[in-house]
Amino acid sequence: MAVSTDTGSKKSSTGLMGELGKRFRSNMQTYTIILALVAIWIFFAILTGGACLQPQNVSNLFRQMTVTSFLAIGMVFVIVTGNIDLSVGKLAGFVSVVVAYFQANIWYNLIPNQPYVAAVLSIIIGLGVGVLFGVMQGYMISFLQVPSFIVTLAGMFILTGLILLVTQGKTIPANQAGFDLIAQGYLPPLVGWIIAAIVVVILFWNMTRSRQRKRQHGFELPSIALDLATTIFYSLLVIAYVWVVNQYKGVQVPVLLLAVAAVIMSYIANNTRFGRYAYAIGGNREAARLSGINIRRSIFLIFILMGLLAGIAGIVLASYVGYGTIAAGQGYELDAIASAILGGTSTLGGVGTVFGALIGSLIMTSLTTGLQMLNVQPAWQYLVKGIVLVLAVYADVAFKKNR
Amino acid sequence: MSEDIILDIQNVTKRFPGVTALSDVSIQIKRGEIHGLCGENGAGKSTLIKILSGVYPYGTYEGKVIYDGSELKLEGGSIRQAITEGIAIVYQELTLVPNMTVGENVFLGKEPSENGAINWDKLYAETRDILRKYQLDVAPQAVVRHLGVGKMQMVEIAKALSENAKILILDEPTSALAEAEIEKLMEILETLRSHGVTCIYITHKLDEFFRITDSVTVLRDGKTVTTQPTGNLTKEKLVSYMVGREMKERFPKGNRRPGEVIFEVNDLHAIDPNDNSRHVLNGVSFDLRRGEILGIAGLMGSGRTELVTTIFGEYGKITHGTIKLEGQEVEMTSASDAMHKGVSLVPEDRKRQGLVLMQSILKNISLANLDQFSKFFRIDADAELAASLQQAKNLAIKAPNLLVACDSLSGGNQQKVVIAKWLLSNPKVLIMDDPTRGIDVGAKYEIYKLMNELTEKGVSIIMISSELEEVLGMSDRVMVMHEGASTRILDIREANQERIMALATGIAEN
Repeated sequence: MAVSTDTGSKKSSTGLMGELGKRFRSNMQTYTIILALVAIWIFFAILTGGACLQPQNVSNLFRQMTVTSFLAIGMVFVIVTGNIDLSVGKLAGFVSVVVAYFQANIWYNLIPNQPYVAAVLSIIIGLGVGVLFGVMQGYMISFLQVPSFIVTLAGMFILTGLILLVTQGKTIPANQAGFDLIAQGYLPPLVGWIIAAIVVVILFWNMTRSRQRKRQHGFELPSIALDLATTIFYSLLVIAYVWVVNQYKGVQVPVLLLAVAAVIMSYIANNTRFGRYAYAIGGNREAARLSGINIRRSIFLIFILMGLLAGIAGIVLASYVGYGTIAAGQGYELDAIASAILGGTSTLGGVGTVFGALIGSLIMTSLTTGLQMLNVQPAWQYLVKGIVLVLAVYADVAFKKNR
Repeated sequence: MSEDIILDIQNVTKRFPGVTALSDVSIQIKRGEIHGLCGENGAGKSTLIKILSGVYPYGTYEGKVIYDGSELKLEGGSIRQAITEGIAIVYQELTLVPNMTVGENVFLGKEPSENGAINWDKLYAETRDILRKYQLDVAPQAVVRHLGVGKMQMVEIAKALSENAKILILDEPTSALAEAEIEKLMEILETLRSHGVTCIYITHKLDEFFRITDSVTVLRDGKTVTTQPTGNLTKEKLVSYMVGREMKERFPKGNRRPGEVIFEVNDLHAIDPNDNSRHVLNGVSFDLRRGEILGIAGLMGSGRTELVTTIFGEYGKITHGTIKLEGQEVEMTSASDAMHKGVSLVPEDRKRQGLVLMQSILKNISLANLDQFSKFFRIDADAELAASLQQAKNLAIKAPNLLVACDSLSGGNQQKVVIAKWLLSNPKVLIMDDPTRGIDVGAKYEIYKLMNELTEKGVSIIMISSELEEVLGMSDRVMVMHEGASTRILDIREANQERIMALATGIAEN
């Protein structure tokens, strides 16, 4: 028998440590980046005398990463297919000023005393603008075959112009009651704990179900100790997070939204045909085509998805700052691309994870806020970000060479 | 020794962690001869070349290489030194810059210059001189992109010779050439020999050794088996040296009983979708019976691949003619459409067209058939794994598990993964475009056996092959193509190499 019926790890003669080592090696990049994150935190914790680990600061850190993270998790898909989207920062910015404009100038006159209806309508319009722009760019890229770099570069210029047209150079408030909750709301501690409990239950349920089904198919099971250890580890992370943020104001609404979006995107990447096709197209376009994959349709849909996420990012941005400005979203596309790449997405296509992009985004935000807390000039923040990005990718290249 | 030995490889051993690629290899190459190097994949040919070109520098191997009277000591890092020493290599994959002219390519990296500016007149004049000297029929100012593969090869050779190469190593130079171009290459090699250039000639096509070489060295499992003057050898002897045993049966006998006609192509004409004036198919007709293997023979460029990719809905625009599957006229507009109708294509180039190399065996096998395992949006990972495992077992894919990435597999195993992928859709008609290209004799045999098993189960196979022996060994009938048209379909009992070649070259009309 040439093929063992075992999919992941070899016979358990190597024991728990062996299995752990194997798992570590196969996910080397993800673990390296997590270690880098921990190192950065320890570094700042020492320099700030522990201040950066106070509940308020941790809570703010995670809240700050949300806007670019929405962009980064979409960017993973775009880059995985071998494309790029330079317009997402400005698209999020444009959505934020449109949403602000509607709140300040239109709903105010049409439906004066209904802030919640106005907030919901603003959200719908914001998402619509994002999707519409995604449709237009996606159509040009996939069906008219204009390179994504060009289309989205042009998109960036056009959106910059549109932002100026809508704002007329002025700042527009976006502070309807209710709307501010999106990025500035907190859940009561009890609700936070209930969510944590639900997540933990789901984690354990998932583990048992996966083992059950493997057994049904007669596959060899990974050791129960390892599965349990992993599940307990993730559960503890969730509990620890809720515990920390509850000491401040509670679980942040935008972080919850981001978590939901990330789980959905991750599920799409791993468990749907759409996701698999994206990786296959980026890995080998010709093989994907001959495998009957509709490449144009896949790429079209990915840019629509990217537009939707940029729409969400724009709404969160408007709610976060409380107004729409001409500089909204400036440079966010670069942060999103950097996050995805830090998180292990290959610029050659075919490789990348949503989880990695989130960690990448967390690293970028940690660097910014950490340096801010140390009162370092903003100039240095850019220098440090640039150096970290190059170092991270170089480490990856060097590691792959020596393997 | 009285003979003039230009390259004396003495007891060279090259070890890698876990494997010994070359063990105690000794070869003597005489000045001015064409020396054939022969062996299965993995026999050590490429390792040997990498030592001669400095990819594996002096000190990383044991033994000695005496070149032109003194020991060859190449430093690592660049193949530049080997070229300066006079050892040049023409690779299987061409290494020219397509958008540059012939002259620019020949002098790439060593442009004659004055005061920092390139002296273009000198460059083109010298290029012309080299081309003339060796009777290479290419214009110095032509842009490489516009040349055919055969001419590009000539430029590649000119480039090597412009460095005053004493030894020219040709690594499978004919794998992409048509018969006429091979003929031309042989003439060029004769010219080189008359100018005293020594050549090391590597090929998988055994007859070429007999056409051009003076002596042949056979490598097997990293060891030299024998070096003999070509005149003392026969094809059968060569094969038995290569595989280490008498190959009594290269093609396993199947127990095929072709049934009723299942697939028919009638007077198919098609044009290049990107260039409407280019006719790629000019009238192809054939039928295929249930459980039959139909071989398609023809020279490079005769439209074989264009035919099958057009049938598969992924290439030419059909302008005339019909395709019938099980008596019904069908139109296949895309790969997925063809698959759903029961036609699968194992493409010609497994790395470029067949596999996503960085992904696992599992993901590659299931890629074309994910809809089988999907409920609404979700892929049922267990069902996917179970089905892929079954395929991997049936085809005896050798790998520790299915999560191994395809780029770490051998050519034969990669090909099995591609075949597994296409069998998963349960095709009625399986088209295989050069299914054994570049894989070793053992893996070929396994694929032949698999083809027999499939036909016994009622699958019909269309097999394109560049090797006439394979076509003759495996097919029930052979269709020969010439200039985009089918010439004749020969029953296997009336087919032989000469007849097929006559039809393929257009010498014989039916």
